[in-house]
Amino acid sequence: MTDLLRRLLRTPQGAVAVAMLALILLLCLLGPELAPRDPEAIDFLGRFRPPGAENWLGADQLGRDVLSRLMVGARATVLLALLATLLGTLAGAVIGTLSAYLGGRWDEAIMRNVDAVMAIPGLLMALLLVSSLGKGSLNATLAIAIAFTPGMARVTRSVALAVRAQDYVKAALARGEGAAFIVLREMLPNVVGPMIVEATIRVAFAVMLFATLSFLGLGAQPPAPEWGLMVAEARRFVHQAPWIIIAPSVAIALTAIAFNLLGDGLRDALNPRDER
Amino acid sequence: MILSVENFSLSYRSGAGVRHALRDVSLAIGAGEVLGLVGESGSGKSSLAWSIMRHLPRTAQESGRLRLGDVDLRGLDAAGLAAIRGRRIGMVFQDPSTALNPTLRLGEQVIEVLMRHRGLSRAEARDAAEEALREVELREPAALMRRFPHEASGGEKQRILIASAFATRPELILFDEPTTALDVITGARILELFARLRERTGVAALYISHDLALVSRVADRVAVLRQGAIVEQGSPGAVFRTPRHPYTRQLVAAVPRPDRRLVTDLPAPERVLAVQGVSVHYARRRLFRPAPPPATQPTSFSIRAGEILGVVGESGSGKSSLARALTGLARFEGRIEALDRAITHPRAMRRDYRRTVQIVFQHPDSSLNPRMRIGEILTRPLRLHGGSLGEIPRLLEEVRLPADYARKYPHQLSGGEKQRVAIARAFAANPALVICDEITAALDVSVQAQVIELLLELRRRHGTAYLFITHDINLIRQIAHRIAVMRAGEMVDLREAAQIGAADAHPYTQALIAASPAPVG
Repeated sequence: MTDLLRRLLRTPQGAVAVAMLALILLLCLLGPELAPRDPEAIDFLGRFRPPGAENWLGADQLGRDVLSRLMVGARATVLLALLATLLGTLAGAVIGTLSAYLGGRWDEAIMRNVDAVMAIPGLLMALLLVSSLGKGSLNATLAIAIAFTPGMARVTRSVALAVRAQDYVKAALARGEGAAFIVLREMLPNVVGPMIVEATIRVAFAVMLFATLSFLGLGAQPPAPEWGLMVAEARRFVHQAPWIIIAPSVAIALTAIAFNLLGDGLRDALNPRDER
Repeated sequence: MILSVENFSLSYRSGAGVRHALRDVSLAIGAGEVLGLVGESGSGKSSLAWSIMRHLPRTAQESGRLRLGDVDLRGLDAAGLAAIRGRRIGMVFQDPSTALNPTLRLGEQVIEVLMRHRGLSRAEARDAAEEALREVELREPAALMRRFPHEASGGEKQRILIASAFATRPELILFDEPTTALDVITGARILELFARLRERTGVAALYISHDLALVSRVADRVAVLRQGAIVEQGSPGAVFRTPRHPYTRQLVAAVPRPDRRLVTDLPAPERVLAVQGVSVHYARRRLFRPAPPPATQPTSFSIRAGEILGVVGESGSGKSSLARALTGLARFEGRIEALDRAITHPRAMRRDYRRTVQIVFQHPDSSLNPRMRIGEILTRPLRLHGGSLGEIPRLLEEVRLPADYARKYPHQLSGGEKQRVAIARAFAANPALVICDEITAALDVSVQAQVIELLLELRRRHGTAYLFITHDINLIRQIAHRIAVMRAGEMVDLREAAQIGAADAHPYTQALIAASPAPVG
């Protein structure tokens, strides 16, 4: 693990990603404590106050401090995105590995179903799920996880097919191991590398999907300081007070970039043939 | 002198430090001379070939001199290299299936070489290519040139590569294990071809191989490479009959000789397993497509307790399919009789059968799960088949590995050590029959000798029978009680090991024995 971190830090994109993610993690953990003001305190005299000494990133249409809202909202936005990716990855990994292990007609049946789900665009799928499950952050998380599952299953299956052909899997079959052991203990640990890379890149998508859902009013509900919701609420005032929309947008973009860079760096660091 | 290498050293820089590939190597090849370079994997043979070809990674650091005639190879720029590579130095690679571009017709690949290096027009090059293919004794070269690599056999592809190496009339050709990827009989034909071409063209060659017997056949002089340094150089007869360096002596001693039997006792009378009319089909008949030919025809034989039954044959002859059927990895027709029961389907193989019949695979790298420690790998068969975990140190000790290896991961072990772990895993179930599927094919000769000795020691201790699958007929003649010969899915011969060379053996068996390199010394 320390070796992996060392190799990750040796690539420029890995080092930048680790620095940015450390900052985001700090916000997630200590955001509410560090926030200079109460994120929900309304100040009518300070409506649309431009960035300055009093409100560093300005104030919104109700005079709430944008910086404080960003810092407090980090937890909901990033952690839920991570959770959604984790759930989607886990489900996809198990389905993909199982499909590769079973092979033959089972493989066909599972993968054609996955294809069918994949044919629906991710956002549309999430919208569909949220509108049938009801609004709310947790339902949005679940919807994003389900939308991610088929893609992850496809990636995992291609890696797992190569693992399936390895002699240690044949050895396990020959000694009469059960399917659960072979899928979970022999195959899954060997497909983890490419999965981690794929998952980190998907975290960025999850952050944006979340923001989109909240923007459409299906994710977090006001007055929660969720980043996507902040963008949605601020769009009416974009000419009057552009900073209200710029700050959360930049925060979303930076988080997405950080996770994308991490995925890039991990791809290099996890490659065993890379001997830098 | 065509090629002279003087005090050449090569090392690779990496994150883990500097690794020395070649140390102070000096050798020379005169006009028309063939120098055989022998060494085990990792000894630096290929590094030397790539140094001469000037194709080294950026992390390489070198010192010393490399000269081709009067040209200093190390001082060449890109244009100078382009004038040398392919034109004055040719190269033939180990695996003909990866050395040819799969998307180009075979003819194109030869024509391109001729146009580039002999400055011929397209039409001239086509004629010259046809002539070159005829020279390497390929039938109907014009038709072959229109085919793609996957439509030609391994032997044909290697002949085409040899043809394009010779077609530019180079002064020197580097052969990097050119017959290793081919089966025995095809390899022997390629060697005969090489001898004739050499006589006709008088080309000098550096012939790299790990196979001592083979090198002694083709080379005028032999150099033995060990850990990047040349330990001995001389005529093949002198090097192999009276080796001076201890390492060469060890290498020569490890070469299998059919006349030196390693097993003297006879198997017990009782049967552990009988195979009756077992055949393996991989794909089924589909709509609009006929069923492919079976991987093995119905085959019958039996194995007695403590017997070593050798199965020899070329790649694709169905040896491994047989092993897969016996271990339930492939569906089969026919009956397997073991433990007083007849088994007709893999699902009928119960736990006691799976315990009785164990398998060891060819590639030690892929037969151990890279994410499990050795201890965990050995735990599984013990758990499944009712052994106690306290046996792990004993198992490791039996395969002559230290007990603390249980905490290591497979990638921390050498190829020979990994194969020992795979053997220990098989023996953890306390089997009556172990199927060894080419288990020494990926190992060096000296490691192969150690693994064979270990298997025989385990057999003495436990009375285990072996089904030993191999393509090395010299090796199997040393250890097997009986030998079965397979060709195109059919068992053409099954006889006592002592009778394998007899006059009434199947013609294919006789051809196999004739094609196997004669042991040196």
